Amino acid sequence: MDGLVKLSFYCFAASSIAIAASAISYIVYSVGRIRVRRAMMATSAGTTVSGSMAEFGPGAAGAGRFGTMLAWFAFVFAAFAVLFRSIVAHRLPTSNMYEFSLTFLLCITGIYLVFEHMYHVKQLGAIVMTIGFGMAVYVWTLPADLREVNPLIPALNNRPIMTAHVSMAIMSYATFAVSFAAAVLYLIAEGRRISWLPNAEMLDDIGFRAVTIGFPMLSLVLILGAMWAHEAWGVYWSWDPKETAALFTWLVYGVYLHTRTLRGWRGRRSAIILLFGFAAVMFTYYGNYFFGGLHAYGGV
Amino acid sequence: MADTSVRTQPTRSPFEVGIDRIWRFFCSVRAAVAEIVLLALLVLIGTLRGSEVPGWIREYVPVTKPVVDRWYAWDVFHSLVFILLLTVIAIAITVCTINRVPGIWQSIAHPKVTTSKGYLRNADTSASFAAAGEASMLATSVVESLEKQRFRVLTEQVGNDTHIYADKHRYGKLGTFPFHLALILLLVGGIVGARYGFRNQEFVVPEGSTRAVGHNTGLSVELNRFTDSYSQLGIAQQYESDVVIYKHGKKVKSGPITVNNPITYGTTTFYQSSFGNAAELKITDASGNVIYNDALDMGIYHLSTNPDAPAGFVQLPDRGVMVTVVGPDVDPANAPQLDKLNLAPGELWVQVMPLNSQPGGAMPPNTKVMQGKTSQLDGMNIEFVREKRFAVLQVADNPGMPIFYAAAFLLVAGLAVTFYFPHRRIRGIVASTANGAEVQLVPLARRDWSGKRDFYRAVAVLQDRLGITPYVRQPEGANDWQQFANAGAGTAGSR
Repeated sequence: MDGLVKLSFYCFAASSIAIAASAISYIVYSVGRIRVRRAMMATSAGTTVSGSMAEFGPGAAGAGRFGTMLAWFAFVFAAFAVLFRSIVAHRLPTSNMYEFSLTFLLCITGIYLVFEHMYHVKQLGAIVMTIGFGMAVYVWTLPADLREVNPLIPALNNRPIMTAHVSMAIMSYATFAVSFAAAVLYLIAEGRRISWLPNAEMLDDIGFRAVTIGFPMLSLVLILGAMWAHEAWGVYWSWDPKETAALFTWLVYGVYLHTRTLRGWRGRRSAIILLFGFAAVMFTYYGNYFFGGLHAYGGV
Repeated sequence: MADTSVRTQPTRSPFEVGIDRIWRFFCSVRAAVAEIVLLALLVLIGTLRGSEVPGWIREYVPVTKPVVDRWYAWDVFHSLVFILLLTVIAIAITVCTINRVPGIWQSIAHPKVTTSKGYLRNADTSASFAAAGEASMLATSVVESLEKQRFRVLTEQVGNDTHIYADKHRYGKLGTFPFHLALILLLVGGIVGARYGFRNQEFVVPEGSTRAVGHNTGLSVELNRFTDSYSQLGIAQQYESDVVIYKHGKKVKSGPITVNNPITYGTTTFYQSSFGNAAELKITDASGNVIYNDALDMGIYHLSTNPDAPAGFVQLPDRGVMVTVVGPDVDPANAPQLDKLNLAPGELWVQVMPLNSQPGGAMPPNTKVMQGKTSQLDGMNIEFVREKRFAVLQVADNPGMPIFYAAAFLLVAGLAVTFYFPHRRIRGIVASTANGAEVQLVPLARRDWSGKRDFYRAVAVLQDRLGITPYVRQPEGANDWQQFANAGAGTAGSR
């Protein structure tokens, strides 16, 4: 059993390396490259002048393909890390910040690959994989004893609903990461003629599509959490800080969805709301560090 | 002389104008956005109140202390402004729904079929096919192709032109109603639960004792045994109360209650919450008559003079006294200087004081008693029979839960219908030309990339059916049509 826990950690380590390399590849692909040419020009005096000309161009397609391949590696290794840990724990690893973040790596790479397949926009990977890498770095900073598999404390010992509630949260956060990436790219692409960036309307659509997946998931997080709270604590809503932080995030995305029906709000303003939305996601994700209340056991 | 009739607006009273303005306010999406933003801000303020963040602000910016102190003192979620805002949102949802139903139903059941050539001409995305045959044949082909793609197609003849309106997932527009109804139901469920239910968060039952639930339930609970188990690392694994539930004194249910596994009788549910130590006491008068014979929970209360040690009390109204007991302070984490009694394990400190005594008077009579021994105090024999455990249960009856479950279902179903069955619409005109006929189609998908993509997909299918290359106009910089055109049988042109 101990061996599987170690193997899970090694798979996580491999996933971390792959995700870092993938992020770098995507960044290289997205930033483009500068071509420096030497040019010779004839002057009216009959002499020639040589000079250097720099021009921007799209990144090497190979870097994009390499990024995708590495993202797949990161996904597969994260899947094995989660699988091995699940075998040992007899449940999906979602009970503390180490396990939560481990599963998040799996979801963020998986959901990104789905969106890349749907939209063929590899530039998203430069941001999404960087977020994934940041999460991997965070996992490395967590206390080593969290890597051990311990029995669930009584408050968490409701495997079906814990698995559904927490995994929904992870998937919604990962999907919101994609919408955040689309929003950042939108703000870069909007109004600038960068030929190798996707068109702004498509990026706006990616952001919206991601929210249409993440928002129902976040709704389910709140509903399943309420059902669990009713079963464990006798009350489905306690105004606990973690609950209300998730509600705050839900409301921010609610604002986003409502503004899309308003004239003049699609595009730039929508993208800015998505940035706020992802800040709210991060606030909820790391809230265990500074929230008290009923979710304190979910902390580090 | 020309007839110059003037159409006059019927004069409306200030009351009507006022009602109209209020109605418009509640129907306004901009107002709704402002309300949600305000609600989000209040939720954020309330969330941070439950965190260490205000404390950090107070520590690093001392000048903010008065503001932060008021922040901590303000129970946002039960404040009048929060309740008022929720009320306004609930009214807005209701009014907005009533206002939107006819329009949405009209667009579903009886949409406008005709359009103008100017509209088609100015659209940023369009596709046109020029065919050699008659316009009626082309119109039939277009309608059949769209119908085969599960579009509902409506046509209307205007002069020689055939106007086409095609849509898909029209009932998806209704998804907004269950979603917003769910939000109202969540509030209703909360109100019903608070108004008609009850919740006792500290229902204490010592082992071997029976306690009445109250709240006109006729229920009482007996705790047979409380057990707690731990892993080798000292991590709590299970807390379990083995209980019997009585209805008007008759046993109706029994079984274990653990965290996450409550027990329910009727609409009343019992949850495992906490536990502690209890002292079984037997108190008799000088003649040997039993005054009290039950276990007394300790730890829920604490004496101000000995704050860390577990304490409990029982009132004996027939004798007009209250018996207070204090157990030993065994927690090594507690401050030793606060323990004035220094009780040994198995020892109990007992005090008897009149029920109507005022604070600050003389020290009431008190004594120490060991487990299994009896002490005399204030004319009573107080026997500390033995130590026991007690369980703290939560007892709740929430009639709002079925409403909550209905709301949850409607909320998710409404979102799914809205997001995953988007209303797709195409307008077009089939007209005769000098060389035959032409159809021009336009998606109603302004700034909607997915809507345009679905339109291109429909155009590609039509291209295959007609065997004609369409002229496709795309927004500036977009080349999304190409992937569909290349996937089709024909060769596409674009301009």
